[in-house]
Amino acid sequence: MDETSSRQRWEMEAELGEMDLDPEDLQPSVPLKRVPAGDLFEAARAGDLDRLRYLLDSGVNVNARDPWDSVALYYSCLAGHVDAARMLLEAGAICSERTFDGDRCHYAALNLRVRRLLKAFEARPPPLAPLPAALRDTFLACAANRRAYIEQCEAGAGSAACAAGYLPLSDGSTSSPFPPDITFYVDGKPIEAHRVILSARSPFFKKKFETDWKDRKEVRFSSQKLSYHALYSLIHFFYSDRLEVAVDDMEDLARTCRACKCDELQNILQKELVHQRYAEYKSLKDVDNSQKRFILQGLSLPEQDRLPFALHRILQVSLANSCGQNMDSVDRHEIQMSQPSNDLADVCIKVGRRIYRCHQVILASRSEYFRARLSRMTDFLDGNNELSSFTLPFLEEHDLSTEAFEKMIEYMYTDGLKDMDPDQAEEIFDAASRYLLFPLKRAVADVLLPHLELVSPAELCHWLILSDMYGVLKIREYCLDVIACNFETFADTREFRSMLLTLPPPSGDSSSRTTRPSAPGSTGNSDQGNLLDDLREKWLEAAAAELDKRDESAALFDKRLEVLMLVAEREANEVHSDPVERKHFDQASPKV
Amino acid sequence: MSSQKKRNFKIEAFKHRVELDPNYADRTWRVLEHAIHEIYNHNASGLSFEELYRNAYNMVLHKYGEKLYTGLVNTMTGHLKEIARSIEAAQGGFFLEELNVKWGDHNKALQMIRDILMYMDRTFVHSSHKTPVHELGLNLWRDNIIRSSKIQTRLLDMLLDLVHRERTGEVINRGLMRNITKMLMDLGSSVYHEDFEKPFLEVSASFYSVESQQLIECCDCGEYLRKAERRLSEEIERVSHYLDVKSEVKITSVVEGEMIANHMQRLVHMENSGLVSMLVDDKYEDLSRMYNLFRRVPDGLSTIKDVLTSHLRETGKQLVSDPEKLKDPVDFVQNLLDEKDKYDKIISKAFNNDKTFQNALNSSFEYFINLNNRSPEFISLYVDDKLRKGLKGVSEEDVEVVLDKVMMLFRYLQEKDVFEKYYKQHLAKRLLSGKSVSDDTERSMIVKLKTECGYQFTSKLEGMFTDMKTSIDTMQGFYSNQYSEIGDGPTLGVQVLTTGSWPTQPSAPCNLPAEILVICEKFRTYYLGTHTGRRLTWQTNMGTADIKATFGKGQKHELNVSTYQMCILMLFNSVDRLTYGEIEQATEIPPSDLKRCLQSLACVKGKNVLRKEPMSKDIAEDDAFYFNDKFTSKFIKVKIGTVAAQKESEPEKQETRQRVEEDRKPQIEAAIVRIMKSRRVLDHNTIVTEVTSQLQSRFLPNPVVIKKRIESLIEREFLERDKADRKLYRYLA
Repeated sequence: MDETSSRQRWEMEAELGEMDLDPEDLQPSVPLKRVPAGDLFEAARAGDLDRLRYLLDSGVNVNARDPWDSVALYYSCLAGHVDAARMLLEAGAICSERTFDGDRCHYAALNLRVRRLLKAFEARPPPLAPLPAALRDTFLACAANRRAYIEQCEAGAGSAACAAGYLPLSDGSTSSPFPPDITFYVDGKPIEAHRVILSARSPFFKKKFETDWKDRKEVRFSSQKLSYHALYSLIHFFYSDRLEVAVDDMEDLARTCRACKCDELQNILQKELVHQRYAEYKSLKDVDNSQKRFILQGLSLPEQDRLPFALHRILQVSLANSCGQNMDSVDRHEIQMSQPSNDLADVCIKVGRRIYRCHQVILASRSEYFRARLSRMTDFLDGNNELSSFTLPFLEEHDLSTEAFEKMIEYMYTDGLKDMDPDQAEEIFDAASRYLLFPLKRAVADVLLPHLELVSPAELCHWLILSDMYGVLKIREYCLDVIACNFETFADTREFRSMLLTLPPPSGDSSSRTTRPSAPGSTGNSDQGNLLDDLREKWLEAAAAELDKRDESAALFDKRLEVLMLVAEREANEVHSDPVERKHFDQASPKV
Repeated sequence: MSSQKKRNFKIEAFKHRVELDPNYADRTWRVLEHAIHEIYNHNASGLSFEELYRNAYNMVLHKYGEKLYTGLVNTMTGHLKEIARSIEAAQGGFFLEELNVKWGDHNKALQMIRDILMYMDRTFVHSSHKTPVHELGLNLWRDNIIRSSKIQTRLLDMLLDLVHRERTGEVINRGLMRNITKMLMDLGSSVYHEDFEKPFLEVSASFYSVESQQLIECCDCGEYLRKAERRLSEEIERVSHYLDVKSEVKITSVVEGEMIANHMQRLVHMENSGLVSMLVDDKYEDLSRMYNLFRRVPDGLSTIKDVLTSHLRETGKQLVSDPEKLKDPVDFVQNLLDEKDKYDKIISKAFNNDKTFQNALNSSFEYFINLNNRSPEFISLYVDDKLRKGLKGVSEEDVEVVLDKVMMLFRYLQEKDVFEKYYKQHLAKRLLSGKSVSDDTERSMIVKLKTECGYQFTSKLEGMFTDMKTSIDTMQGFYSNQYSEIGDGPTLGVQVLTTGSWPTQPSAPCNLPAEILVICEKFRTYYLGTHTGRRLTWQTNMGTADIKATFGKGQKHELNVSTYQMCILMLFNSVDRLTYGEIEQATEIPPSDLKRCLQSLACVKGKNVLRKEPMSKDIAEDDAFYFNDKFTSKFIKVKIGTVAAQKESEPEKQETRQRVEEDRKPQIEAAIVRIMKSRRVLDHNTIVTEVTSQLQSRFLPNPVVIKKRIESLIEREFLERDKADRKLYRYLA
């Protein structure tokens, strides 16, 4: 756990290095003190990183204000705790200079290091979870929305921040983005959107899409009360769980929220409106009001008002509507036709013997595979087979269990994995790779790790092979660490020895073997690195002598490996001559 | 493969799943290979995306990525070779269309293949640093189709031929052309550059080189330029229709180079139609075209500018040195102004108000205006003429315009102090004779001079105006004070002029008639009574008088004459005949002035109030003059002018020049002293340059004169030569 988190930190620092931060900014700042029982604000003020991490991991709202209208980031900036401030920023603390809270942080920053840190984070895309990030990309990939976004960026002085936040998909190798199915016009300006998302987030839209707007492709609003910017902000919020709005538009937005029955958001906005009336901006004093902005992270809302929860609801409805197993195509047809279409599903996926009603926009946003698949419907067999008489497009996925699929779509809709059985992990790894859902692997790994502490050495070897194959770094590192630290135990395990035979031989070049695989300049990607090389490195780290004796230890280890492989070869020959074992394998082969 | 089964095998599960079936990879690859064939054969609708993707995924997962990738390369290459054959087989014009169709097919297939192999693209290709599938497809297309020996040259020839045909006026399929060039661009900018753009530019260069050679033989300059312009816009249009935007600069530079830069000199100097004749005939359109085209090539504008300058200098030189034109100063200046107007118009209409051209125009004018050292005088005369009469009935704005134009000419003058001298003289005449049209205009002219040359330049001129005003007041005071004593005598109008402000020559006062003398004395006592410590000198050579005369038949006339003439005429009140000698003796008017006065009184037809014997044009020492009884005139008021050349005569000119030179001396000395005072030690050349630059706004000092002034200053011990280095001067005192 520590190992991986430090690796993440290292990556983050590498990234920060490109962002105008001096090397000195990465040094710890002021002597820290501990506040074991403190709340977020106390921890931020004291710079107690452990407490802060604990609180953030437990899911507190990083942007909450205390009774003195200050946010946690404000305290750590004021006290000059660069590390605490960075932790808060990485957790999604708002630092835009145009917001009330961000303005105060910039103003209160103790020294230039803190200020540079704030600037660096201001210029980054807002930290979003994979699901909101993916949906945000889909939203902004719609031509009209992108134009509006770029305009907004150019209007604001912080264009660098926005430009870095979203780079248009100009790369020809990616499939075209998923097209919108509804367009709103406010003041003649278009906003493109997808019905499912809007319905999931707002009862108002849900009702409208079921009644008035059922077959409409575009909706024109002519009401004077509705402003384009307010609606744009709101819909952007629906997709990304991040609300960003000019203070001038907040009243409009609050009204729109009431109409859309987003009560919680409306409450927060109205409270904030009162607050803004008395808020004093230090750095924007001389600038006009339109520069002032209000940013709200999804974390500030109660859980049932956040994006994952909304999509979870939709998913539940869809799953309930999905038909059970064991029916032939004729029945399927009838059932599909007779079902109420209150879930707005627009695609059916058959897995095993079950048919799932799903939503194209979510699948396409989350997985490039589905995006390509859905856009290629007509080019291949899948789109125009005998099932085309269905009302909905129909896909069939083989080689996948229904349980794994359900877990996968749960993750796709909600970014979360609930009650995952470690036994399922392998299959979900497979699904995650296959459907190019790389963040899912990390989620599974997090669930799996505590389980691995209990498994036998033989099983650990299995996981090592698996994690290497599917490129799950967290698990791979963990397994290698355990094996390196308990090398002799594993050397005695038969499965480990036979595993050695299946692995590609260690690379012969000793110069490349002594460099750390993740160090810059080493060839190859770390997830494709040679397992035995990595193991050797880990072992040297754990057990080898210091400096000049290191080479001797390395030679020792190489020798040990060779011996083990010889043993393994002999054992393998014995196994092959054992008929019982072979029978065992035959059972596996037909399925391949 | 369900998870339960796998868990039974633990590690071995994976090892054996593949190893058990050594043909697994080959078998899977065959499926995928088949799919690729089908996709290329437009049979993809029979394939299952899901199955193909899954197969490709499994292959990569089980480390067969390399096999999949090389297989893909080989299969695609095979297909492309086939496509190449079918394209090669296409005849004539169908070649491009076939290429276009096949390119479309390939692109579509490539996208489908890319999607099927997406997993490989994301993981294997990424980690083993291979070329991504889409790019790979493009590269293979480039190597197997575009750069295959049989297609490459044919394609290029075909494209160039089409362009050539369009240039010669045929209509070609631009859409097809656009698709093909788009393909080349998609394959990477290097392909477009190497395989098309470079040869295209070469062919264009030779085409335009030939065409321009033909055109220049048979067209005049204007027509040639029109054609060149059309060609240029054609090429730009071509780029916008079917070439890469970045080609525009390159192709236009080719056209510019071949059609303009190479023939620039010839075009400009073309007989009867080149730049000079365009300038002469005010062909704005042609000039503007020439400007716009030449602007595109290096040295183009400077070529135009050089020709323009030399033409301007030549015509200007003729203008200022033609003796015919020198006769009338007003016309002379008017010609200059017209010339200036003409070129201003050309520059603003055709040359886009280009600053460098304006500078060329200015420097040319400066050059030739100063060729004639009478220019300052003429310009002053022109102003004099305009301010005397020319501007009557002209609105204020127009007056301003005329004055501004004159100021423009004035700016070109190097000898501004000469102008000042003349202007002072002319202004004095105008003021004293009351001929000035409007005080406002005079003042605005002064203001203009002031802004141009500074306060010093005009302080004396302004002093003249002040004098005029105070004189009016003085006269009013005089008459209101002494009205009772004067009675019925002649009315006197005195203008008190401050010495120094006015260009007065010291002249011997003539003998005034007794009647006048009385009142003059009265004025003198009055004036000196109010202003103590001053001295009054009568400038009789500058006054005028109105006298009433009765002639033989009793007709009365009012004669408007000068003071000298008045003195002469008053003599005839008592006698009828006087000889020249008698008149001279009685009046003591200087002989030259006297002769001139008598000439105007006796020899001008219609105004001959005196009769001369013998009758001749010139006045001789022994002539005799009679009162002319028979004088008649239609007018009651008769103005008798003085026969005085408006223009200065040769000796007068010399004199003015000399005075100017005299005036310059102290100025030069002052400048030298100013410079030396601040610099203390300086060598000769530096002093000369500094003095020149300091005095530039007034005149161009002659280095020889400067040297003389330095010597004089050394004599007077303002400066001394350095003892060690004789070239250095030291400031003393």
